[in-house]
Amino acid sequence: MKLTRRNFLAWAGLGAVGAVACEGFGIRRGELDIQSSVRLPEDLVRGSDNWYASLCRTCPSCEGIVIRVMEGRAKKIQGNPYYPTNQGKTHARCEAGLQALYHPDRIPTPMRRSGPRGSGEFLPINWQPNGMDSLRSALQANGSSSVMITEPLRGHMALLADRFVAAIGGERLGFEAIDNNTFRTAVKNVFQQDSLPDFDLENSKFILSFGADFLSTWVSPTRFNRGFGEFRQGAGRGRGMFYQIDSRFSMTAANADKWLPVRPGWEGYLALSLAQVIVSENLQARGVDVDSLVGGAPGIQTLNNFRPEIVVPLAGLTPEMTGGDPVNFLKSLARSFAANRPSVAIGGGSAGAQSNGLFNLEAIYALNFLVGSVGKKGGVKFNPASPWADVPNASTAGSLEDWARVTDQIRSGKTKLLLLHGADPVHGLPDSLQLRDAIAQANDLFVVSFSPFLDDTSVMADLILPDRVYLEDWGDDISEPGPGYQVVGFQQPVVNPLFDLDPLSFPDVLLTMAQELGKESDLPWANFKAMLREGSDALFNLNRGSIEASSADEFWNNLLRRGGWWDELRNGPTSVRPADGLLRTIAEKASSPVFDGFGIGADSFYLVPFAHNTLLDGYNGHLPWLQAAPDPLSTVTWQTWVELNDTTAKSMGVKEGDILRLTSSKDSIRAVAYPTPAVPPDTVSVPFGQGRKHGSEYATDRSGSESSNVMDILETTLVKDTGSLAWAGTRVRVSKTGESISISKLEGDVRAVEIGLTPGEEIIKTIAPENA
Amino acid sequence: MMPSRKMLPLMVAGGVVTVIMGFIVVVLFISWFSNPPFGLGNAPAQPIAFPHTVHVAENNIQCEFCHRNVTKGAAATVPAVETCLFCHKDIDGGTVTAQSEIEKIRTAFETDTPINWERVHRLPDHVRFIHEAHIRYFTDETIPVKYGINGEEIIQSLDVAQTCTICHGDVGNKTVVQPKTGQSLKMGTCVDCHRNNSVPTDCTVCHK
Amino acid sequence: MVTQRIDHKWGMVVDLDRCTGCQACVVACQAENNIPINTKSFYQQRRAYHWIRIERYWEGEFPNVKAKFIPIMCQHCENAPCEPVCPVFATYHNDEGMNVQVYNRCIGTRYCSVNCPYTVRMFNFWDPKWPKSLRNQLNPDVTIRTRGIMEKCSFCVQRLRRGEVNVERRGIEPLTGERIPAADRKLNYRQMKEGNYLPACVQACPTNALQFADQNDNTGPVKEYFDEANEQIETRHQGGHVDEAHTRVYRLFEEIGTKPNVIYLKKVEPFPLDKA
Repeated sequence: MKLTRRNFLAWAGLGAVGAVACEGFGIRRGELDIQSSVRLPEDLVRGSDNWYASLCRTCPSCEGIVIRVMEGRAKKIQGNPYYPTNQGKTHARCEAGLQALYHPDRIPTPMRRSGPRGSGEFLPINWQPNGMDSLRSALQANGSSSVMITEPLRGHMALLADRFVAAIGGERLGFEAIDNNTFRTAVKNVFQQDSLPDFDLENSKFILSFGADFLSTWVSPTRFNRGFGEFRQGAGRGRGMFYQIDSRFSMTAANADKWLPVRPGWEGYLALSLAQVIVSENLQARGVDVDSLVGGAPGIQTLNNFRPEIVVPLAGLTPEMTGGDPVNFLKSLARSFAANRPSVAIGGGSAGAQSNGLFNLEAIYALNFLVGSVGKKGGVKFNPASPWADVPNASTAGSLEDWARVTDQIRSGKTKLLLLHGADPVHGLPDSLQLRDAIAQANDLFVVSFSPFLDDTSVMADLILPDRVYLEDWGDDISEPGPGYQVVGFQQPVVNPLFDLDPLSFPDVLLTMAQELGKESDLPWANFKAMLREGSDALFNLNRGSIEASSADEFWNNLLRRGGWWDELRNGPTSVRPADGLLRTIAEKASSPVFDGFGIGADSFYLVPFAHNTLLDGYNGHLPWLQAAPDPLSTVTWQTWVELNDTTAKSMGVKEGDILRLTSSKDSIRAVAYPTPAVPPDTVSVPFGQGRKHGSEYATDRSGSESSNVMDILETTLVKDTGSLAWAGTRVRVSKTGESISISKLEGDVRAVEIGLTPGEEIIKTIAPENA
Repeated sequence: MMPSRKMLPLMVAGGVVTVIMGFIVVVLFISWFSNPPFGLGNAPAQPIAFPHTVHVAENNIQCEFCHRNVTKGAAATVPAVETCLFCHKDIDGGTVTAQSEIEKIRTAFETDTPINWERVHRLPDHVRFIHEAHIRYFTDETIPVKYGINGEEIIQSLDVAQTCTICHGDVGNKTVVQPKTGQSLKMGTCVDCHRNNSVPTDCTVCHK
Repeated sequence: MVTQRIDHKWGMVVDLDRCTGCQACVVACQAENNIPINTKSFYQQRRAYHWIRIERYWEGEFPNVKAKFIPIMCQHCENAPCEPVCPVFATYHNDEGMNVQVYNRCIGTRYCSVNCPYTVRMFNFWDPKWPKSLRNQLNPDVTIRTRGIMEKCSFCVQRLRRGEVNVERRGIEPLTGERIPAADRKLNYRQMKEGNYLPACVQACPTNALQFADQNDNTGPVKEYFDEANEQIETRHQGGHVDEAHTRVYRLFEEIGTKPNVIYLKKVEPFPLDKA
């Protein structure tokens, strides 16, 4: 046959079909390879799984986990059934640690900046000599004017980092976008405790929560969920009653028996009015010295300024909200709170993120004294001191004041070296602080990032030395809040880094540097594992607790096998004496919340941001499972949405999927409208966590992704006396952009049930079959 | 005879269709029968010529000495290089070729290089097969009568090596292992054997 | 005979009063069952893969508003509407009370999904894609489903099989590794709880809203609910009346007679909304 151009093409086409067919029917090359390993590890049985105990690091509460490892690959993360805080249970966030481990955007090797700062242009270098040498010379030259920014560290890592910065003469600050400083200060002022308390929900009969989204993101949600399940339907106890007083209808509020919408910032007033009812009607628990708690007659007088009649209009309570007279509602709430003991009052979240946040939280926690649930079963439980003398049992985080100071130091050239680990302050601080510009313009500044991922801060780095991910590294943790007794968790490497990655453990790098800089006396350990081993030996020498062993080696092995050590007999204080006249002191602090931004007007709203159920403050933004997990209430994924009242939306002509612009006095962001019936008409809510400018494309804000960072528009209002960011203290103007997109949400995904339209009862009702 | 001009396009089209159909049939035929589990494939080229005859038939090494996972878990596994070195640290080959093959093992161990063997028996991804369970069954003395893969009655209880031969054939007497050494393993083979032995045939037992 | 399968009838109890809607089960399921990453466009096209999903229902208007969460997964119906319509018998009911989807039989007609009243069957409109490094996480015990076939919750049958092999065949106590006497080798609730044999969602659920057990296992704490649900079906079948105001037990769409093996316990409402 003559080969013409035409039939050549035909044959070529046929050949391609054949090739596709062969590929389709045949077996792929890779499936026919079996690689025999060189060595013969005794515990490795091919095709069988090994389970290793370790710790989760995707949220600050640090759950005990077990990891299923098959042939050197981590396959599944589950809760460690022995671990006292989470008792075998996990949050959605814990599972996604695997994606951090095998994330496609992990930084493979050390890198040096090659373009202008912030451009994201880097050149790979080697650890030895380039990477370590640059770090050493930077530390030698500017160690004394350095700031190390880390995640809030606990356990031996905190000890190591603090000793290191002390040795080089620098400063360390923990960073949390939504910090617990106000909560921590309130706990200190009310209960005189340094570490965060636990709430014994399991044994509680009545929960009164103000603003704390404790089932979703606040402090230790897995632990609280565990208790909450028992609180609802535990064996051998009645069903508990739960009121949520909150300016946003959070996931926790959705689970409450009654949600009371409150005008943002007036939670403390409400708490004091409940206290006033309890005191005036003599409802306090037996044995409570009301006189000293209130501060005598002048205290009662002060407290009378918070009578329900006075507070109701301030807090914006209406008869529709309370199903009758709001004053009577508050009174009966106070009565049932006092009567259904043990009861517990919890405050946090947006209640503490106001200019008067500290007052709010102190007033809320003081309620626990009146009902006698401080340190008691079913109430607020305190945690004991750390089992190690030198390791603190609480973490620290910088406040907004600290960050403003650091920004100024960078701008003025006083800080010459910035060390970053596990923190993304450029993304997590209000844009109006202008940390990004300060770093970009500081010519003398040298920035070292130890992050295994590019984020908005590490993209500004001059040197990136990628750390290991927690499943590849050693570590430990003193649970905060613990379960009311001493708990130490241990983290061990369960897999090696993939072959194309070359990370080095951050603590090991610090120890190496300390040795090279001649600071062995402060940090004598060869590596972090040796340091932890010393900690384990110290626990062994205590001769108590959950691990039984006859030698230190056996103890270490059993410790790692069990995932930690705890001693149920070492409890925190069970009784705390309140300061004299505590309620009076608090009441005298009372002040109304201050809102910055645009004032009252038809298009002006309170902005109540909230931590994203899975991404938190953005810490987990790069993990696709967590981006794809629907928000419990709106069921929105991947995008930044703004929750607004459906009636308000209708009057503004806003439909779901419309893109709105939220403008504060600082800046504006775009967000997708999600009208719901559960938002107060004068409030809008936006989740934290989205809108990174750099890094993994799962997390970044690119055109059309509708992912924006609500931090960009927050005013820098401070919480009085703690200096933290009052992130719920902004008012914004909402306007339409005229654009509209398809919202990416689960709701409406299913055809038959039409969730979101029909009330649940209608769908789930049961009727007898027709022959009945 | 020349076909009429009218017929020509039809004939060309017919020819093309025949060629395509034939091609697809050939592709299907080859891909069905050439895949290793189906018995007609050739022996793959292994990186090291490993004669089972020398090891099993002559020197009487048990199957599970090297395929040490076979009595413990799902996969039989190829031995680690270290396992070979148990003996080949001292034992040299009888011939020059054998010696050079053994040197490959030692070099692999010294240079820490894994050996990439070619898989001979492969099950598709959606099948779960646990070697250990099958060996446990056929070696269980408390079960009086068992049936082999072709329905033959097995009255004595077998040892591990005999169990292996039920599916894999007499590997011990083969210099080169190839798929046709053993049974053709299609789903019917598995189901028949399960049925004969009154073992559950629920889909989820084997399919994952 | 030793190899005879021990009689199981698996079932799940979902306590809506405990469920907080936290999504732990959803992510646990994605991790265990090699479910493709639900990208934004999957959601926008309403084709996201969820073997278990948490539906949220709004009730009322501000300020008297409530949200209810209901986790919905395959109900493993005894009378499954999906089964008779499959032309290739890719979905069937096995002897353990599970509705099984056999992927390699499925030819993707999607009749089953049309016929499922719970909308829990997911069709693979695309070939699943993962970035190369993320494939290291994939569970080797679960097949990756290609484009054009139907998938759904399997009650994590791979974990149950692992449990059965370890407990019933090998006789290994999951917690201590000790040998179990031959007569006691039955995978029961306690061993599942202490081993890793519970479905991934149940294992993760922080409030214990999801409970999984063998309906024939008398040691399980949820046995009473299974009994009550079966009693209800029997009563209705006899034409009797079930006092729904005094029981929390119900099954989804019971009126269409699917007889699900998943039992729901109603949420307790101390302050019910006035129905308009």
